Amino acid sequence: MILFSFTLAEPQHFSIAEKLLLAVLIVTSGALFWRRFGRVVDRILRSKKDPGFHLGNIGRRVWEFFSEVLCQSKVIRQRPLPGLAHAFVFWGFCAFALVTLNHIAVGFGIGFLAPDGVFGRFYFSFAAVFALACAVGILGLFVRRFLVRPRWLGDKVSYESGVIAFLIFALMATYLAAFFTTDDAPAARVLWWAHTLSLLVFLPIIPHTKHLHLVLSPATVFLSRGGFSAIPPLAGDEDFGLVAGQDLTQLVSLQAYSCVECGRCTEHCPASNTGKILNPKEIILGVRAYLNDIGPQTEEPLLGKYNSQEAVFQCTTCGSCEFQCPVGIEHLPILVGLRRGAVNTGSWEDAFGTKLFNGLERGSNALGISAAERDKFVQKQQFPIFDGTQEYCLWLGCMGGYDPKGREIVADFARVMNFLGTSYGVLRKEKCTGDPVRRLGNDLVFQQLAEANLEMLSQSKVKKIVTICPHCVRTIQEDWKAYGTPPPIEHHSEFLARFSDQLPKPSQNQEKEKIVFHDPCYLGRYRNVYDEPRTVAATAGQVIDPPRARERSFCCGAGGGLVFLGEETGKRVSHVRAQELAATGASTIGTACPFCNSMFRDALGASNQPAPQLLDIAQLVARSLPDNDRSHSA
Amino acid sequence: MKIIVAIKQVPERDAQVRIDASGKWIEEADIQYAMNESDAYALEEALQLKEKHGGEVAVLSAGPERVGTTIREALAKGADRAIHIDVDDLGQRDSLGVARLLAEAIEPESPDLVLTGLQSDDLGLGQTGVILAELLGLPHASLILQVEKTEAGLSVKRELENGWFQTIKLPLPAVLTIQSGGNKLRYATLMGIKRAKTKELRRVPAADLPIENAPTAVLEGVTLPQKQRSTQILPGTAKEAAAALVEKLKFEVRVL
Repeated sequence: MILFSFTLAEPQHFSIAEKLLLAVLIVTSGALFWRRFGRVVDRILRSKKDPGFHLGNIGRRVWEFFSEVLCQSKVIRQRPLPGLAHAFVFWGFCAFALVTLNHIAVGFGIGFLAPDGVFGRFYFSFAAVFALACAVGILGLFVRRFLVRPRWLGDKVSYESGVIAFLIFALMATYLAAFFTTDDAPAARVLWWAHTLSLLVFLPIIPHTKHLHLVLSPATVFLSRGGFSAIPPLAGDEDFGLVAGQDLTQLVSLQAYSCVECGRCTEHCPASNTGKILNPKEIILGVRAYLNDIGPQTEEPLLGKYNSQEAVFQCTTCGSCEFQCPVGIEHLPILVGLRRGAVNTGSWEDAFGTKLFNGLERGSNALGISAAERDKFVQKQQFPIFDGTQEYCLWLGCMGGYDPKGREIVADFARVMNFLGTSYGVLRKEKCTGDPVRRLGNDLVFQQLAEANLEMLSQSKVKKIVTICPHCVRTIQEDWKAYGTPPPIEHHSEFLARFSDQLPKPSQNQEKEKIVFHDPCYLGRYRNVYDEPRTVAATAGQVIDPPRARERSFCCGAGGGLVFLGEETGKRVSHVRAQELAATGASTIGTACPFCNSMFRDALGASNQPAPQLLDIAQLVARSLPDNDRSHSA
Repeated sequence: MKIIVAIKQVPERDAQVRIDASGKWIEEADIQYAMNESDAYALEEALQLKEKHGGEVAVLSAGPERVGTTIREALAKGADRAIHIDVDDLGQRDSLGVARLLAEAIEPESPDLVLTGLQSDDLGLGQTGVILAELLGLPHASLILQVEKTEAGLSVKRELENGWFQTIKLPLPAVLTIQSGGNKLRYATLMGIKRAKTKELRRVPAADLPIENAPTAVLEGVTLPQKQRSTQILPGTAKEAAAALVEKLKFEVRVL
């Protein structure tokens, strides 16, 4: 009978032949690892330097590394069960580093951790706890991958993952078993060699498989550009975005090789979930396959065999993929980069896209309506013209200035500002911020629009901007920086939340009204504003969340310029989301973006079910204003 | 095929125009300018012909310095080179005067085809192209939606009234005035703009051309359109009102 002891059995007295064999195996394993890994590193380093990249903000990088890598925060929070299983495997590996070093040292007779010493006894038991957790974790992940088989892991069963799981399990099992034997028992030696062989087989497999993320993803997380959808500047006269291999930057290549193929991006992608061909995971793997087959610094187009142009232009830039990615891949700069490559060189041909670009080259707004219509609206609403004396410039945006529903929202927001006694004015002229062309990759028109607007704002001496449109907020604050210094801007939810105790009180009926709030992508994931619109909506009724809320919010389908590109293939994103919102049983859908509002208005109108009412947070507030009887004249 | 496209720069579609102090022209400051719409279609037709049959597309524009932005846009979209007739008093020249300037620049080029928009969005006279053909002594056709090159010359589709079209054949060289909407316009690209920087742009001062500014037609004045509301409420039941509406649409407005 084998007795369990708290002491790890370590075989002693390795023969010269054994030591030689061990040395040969280690060198072979290491060489096999490097033969493949060296090529990966070479491809990454041979890629183009990232324009505008600098290692500043070490604090953020260290924090992200600590939180996302060491604590596995994103891995666990976004997929708790498999996330925990993974975290245990990861922590098990970390705890095992010292054990493994000692294990090999023992083979050469220079073991430095005595199993019966005070530290050794503690550390080996400590590692045993992790080994157990790791073994259970890897078993759980094995069951999930091969028996439960969630669809976002892909249709093909990954046998290599099975081999890896078996090796990890073997590593843990051979370690734990050594507690049940003694130093001189033959079993100890067998276990030692089994452990060693598992390790030396595991090592060269890593760079051949998605387990490359073990080595690369800590670097990927640490080196990420930061921010959200940080679109890099174009460098020089020959940079048009991601056109060919020579445009792949070191960060893009590093990220492509780091992908662990977990499919979280795909699981949350509005395009993938509504029957379109875009699959963000496949985009990243397409770039990786390109790097493997063709390599960086080549002129072979990136779109074609490895990634399809159609897929790239199905992205709503909602950013779920980038938010979800546990290994630091920044999907949006890659997707937008591929679009830039196609649009800046003229290879993207789309009737709707061309109409939008030509319209914005000449006209003032993305809806293609005469600017005179905005003037009429401003006159009719008697909006004060911004003259430098008012506190805020109220930016109307294309939706607020031209779209009937957007105008209602702006008019209601202006009434709330009047009620609060905030001074504001609108500009005589405004051009589209360039959001749709920025996301579609048209740098030429985007630059023209950004520069023209920046010029107008500086001439008007605008100090602060407030707007109802999260797309305007994002584009003005972040994307315009490439061409000047935009004044600070805030979304009306942030503005209204500051005044939440001064907002009008709803009637008793309205107080009980259930409002389901839809987080706009460009307010939530892009700007990290989740609480403010809820605070505002809560002054008007009872706010509830739909199943997918906050950072997991599901797109309305309008972003990335797609609202201007005509009919979708597959199901409509807006219909899927509108049904989800309506199914909560709320009597009102609360929105905070005029694009979401417009998409849901159409989606709800297309349904036979009795639709909940659809109101922007500004409208939820405005309906309780004392002068409500003379409202809605937009 | 060597094609010359004559383009004009006009106030942007959304421009808020004001009459200047003389009452004869608009205030030109603070206005954004763009390529005349039908000229943009003429350029597109030229670029498509070049893509199909090879050759060269040169753009030609008369106007002050600001015209340079529109010329660069044409180069960015794919024209190979440009000629800019530098002239500050375009507003005081009539169609004949402008056509003479253009003809003077075109003649030494001996192109196979000259294209231009059928009329300008600002003055809308629709004369320049056809006078140009006369001055060059070339056959012409106007209101063209489609151009096809044939063995003998060209086969072109003209737009007539009321949804009718006419296809005619004419020899080369020729002058065509192009109607908007026959093709889909391409968009300008960053790559195009960067490449345009290296393309030839030849400036010819109008003073160097042997043309006198002696207009035969003089612009007396320009006015803004007067706004008026003339909403009519048709009384009676829905049926009566509908009948009255049909009557009015048929016989007063003549759109039915």
